[in-house]
Amino acid sequence: MTDAKKQQGDRLSEAEAIDRAKQGDAAAFEALYNLHKRRVYSLCLRMTANTAAAEDLTQEAFLQLFRKIGTFRGESAFSTWLHRMAVNVVLMQLRKKSLPVVPLEENMETEEESPRKEPGADDPRLAGSVDRMQLQRSIAALPPGYRMIFLLHDVEGYEHNEIAEMVGCSIGNSKSQLHKARMKLREILKTSRAEKATKP
Amino acid sequence: MTCEEFQRVLPELGSGHGIGQEEHLKSCRGCSNLVADLNTISREARVLQGSEEPSPWVWKSIEVALRQEGLIQPQLSHSRTPTLVLDWRLRWLVPLAATLLIVFGALIYQRGTGQPQTAQQQPPPAGVVTANLQATEAMGGEDLQLLETVGERMPSMRDTYEADLRSVNAYIRDAEQSAHSDPNDEVAQQYLQNAYEQKAMVYEMALDRSLP
Amino acid sequence: MQRATSYVVMLIVVSAAFAAAQTTHQELHFKVGRRASVSIVNQYGAISVKPGPGKVVAVTAILYSGKVEVDQSKSRRRVAVFSHLLEGADAQTGRVDYEVLVPADASVTLHSTTGPLHVEKLHGDMMVEGSTASVDVRDVSAGHIHIKTLNGPVTVTNVSDGLVEITSVGGDVALNAVNGSLVHVNSSSGKIHYDGDFGDGGDYSLTTHSGDIEAIAPAYASIEVVARSVQGTVEKDFPLQPEHTSFVPRAGSAFAGTMGEAASSVKLLSFSGKIHLKKR
Repeated sequence: MTDAKKQQGDRLSEAEAIDRAKQGDAAAFEALYNLHKRRVYSLCLRMTANTAAAEDLTQEAFLQLFRKIGTFRGESAFSTWLHRMAVNVVLMQLRKKSLPVVPLEENMETEEESPRKEPGADDPRLAGSVDRMQLQRSIAALPPGYRMIFLLHDVEGYEHNEIAEMVGCSIGNSKSQLHKARMKLREILKTSRAEKATKP
Repeated sequence: MTCEEFQRVLPELGSGHGIGQEEHLKSCRGCSNLVADLNTISREARVLQGSEEPSPWVWKSIEVALRQEGLIQPQLSHSRTPTLVLDWRLRWLVPLAATLLIVFGALIYQRGTGQPQTAQQQPPPAGVVTANLQATEAMGGEDLQLLETVGERMPSMRDTYEADLRSVNAYIRDAEQSAHSDPNDEVAQQYLQNAYEQKAMVYEMALDRSLP
Repeated sequence: MQRATSYVVMLIVVSAAFAAAQTTHQELHFKVGRRASVSIVNQYGAISVKPGPGKVVAVTAILYSGKVEVDQSKSRRRVAVFSHLLEGADAQTGRVDYEVLVPADASVTLHSTTGPLHVEKLHGDMMVEGSTASVDVRDVSAGHIHIKTLNGPVTVTNVSDGLVEITSVGGDVALNAVNGSLVHVNSSSGKIHYDGDFGDGGDYSLTTHSGDIEAIAPAYASIEVVARSVQGTVEKDFPLQPEHTSFVPRAGSAFAGTMGEAASSVKLLSFSGKIHLKKR
């Protein structure tokens, strides 16, 4: 598609693009894809940590969406609808590969996974802002269950009741896993900074 | 409130703190640092939303699939000057995809309505259902257009694609006859699905060759 | 006579030198992160991918004439190398042979018309596509292997814990010691040969239109098997327990039953080819 056509597609509002896509307009499909591709792909990439798998899942999520676009009536935001579809596609993929989504019990994680914290101990702050690249690396190092909840809540902005419904856990479990994920990230980031500081 | 008590309820607090928790935070540097760090991590994480971009091939794959499934209607496409010579040639995929979908859909519909096998209905004799790959298979217009495209871009591959299209068309024909004779036969449906996948793959590979 | 022989030898040497002079080598190196994604798109010529040290993708390209160039693109985790044909290039002059070293956990995508294509000792996902190229994948584990070919022969050897999907129109497919949760081969006229355990409690489906299917399994295989050919014959070397006598094929020849604990599901389906389940 030429740049001119792409720009034309982008100038379509989302509502117009949805209407035209329902009628089979190629430019409208592409406009919708361009509007949402980054968010969907980023989510898939962070959940799978594999670009090829993330691209496959992105493709699958959009295809499922476009096949059902005729049924979209505008009851919820289009982006919400798409995003839920993407999350479901990723969850199905993880379940197919027998990867843990969320531990069913809060005490299932091992000692290595569960960040230890002695209450009351002097705990220096993670000074300054968090380096984005380092944060991405740290997220990738999280156990899959923690990573999932952290991505859905802190990166994608879902509420705990929505996360609980999507992944099939309790709201309390979602909150607990999120807290542990953040604690683990804090630990990883501090360790990384300490290592950098000691390097010549 | 002790640090232990505070950190026990921390997962439940979210963005708000009660009076007791606020008092504790004012007096405890350790917990205060902890909360500040967790908030920083949460805040910085939001920046990561939508920060990655998929390769252009993802859209190409989606577009091919949409055309094959007949979800893109060519008459509503805006006229365009293609950056890839490929684009304007895709229009003939739509009637092909539509035909394949109609045939497959009709077979599924027959199966769904549970048309009963009556005592008079017999599977067709073996001679009718043949798998003679050497027989000349009539090529549809879309197949001929594909071969023309292949011939222009990759002349050395034209014969290969022609032979493969004939093979796959024979597969589809036999699978359709088998599925038609017994719509409840799951294996026959599997053959038909496999045959369509083969045809889709041949088209996809012929078109992908235009990619750099 | 001796002089004539000398002239012939000189001619051969000069021709070889001339041919060598036409080829150029190009080396590319990319630093990548964990689970990098590597794509090689090559119309004409071989691609060989093996694991290399560190987080580096090392590409050695042999270009057979000046009518082809090697282009590259790189994002943070994705490396793509393309053969770019110039005007007038054909299968000989447009040929590039690639030798690629990647991190063992990299995802790999390979396209070539003529090939051959070779991948070994990786455990990332791979997509291998060749028209008439022969495809050889061996010693891989835990990845999703997706192979598409028109007529090139496909050989997959020693795969464990994998998801394997192969679609071939006319190319023969040989699977040796391939186990995984899903092993699907869809062929039109190509033959399918499987020699392995049907292990991992997987879902194995070998289907053809007119190609023959030969599956060789050990006596200790644990499978639930269905075999059916509409117009061809089916044969088995194993007694199946219990034999599914209630299984009634609608048309053609068939057998169905279990061996061992029936851990894996095996379907051998051909429209008009012969099917033989052999004992190793």
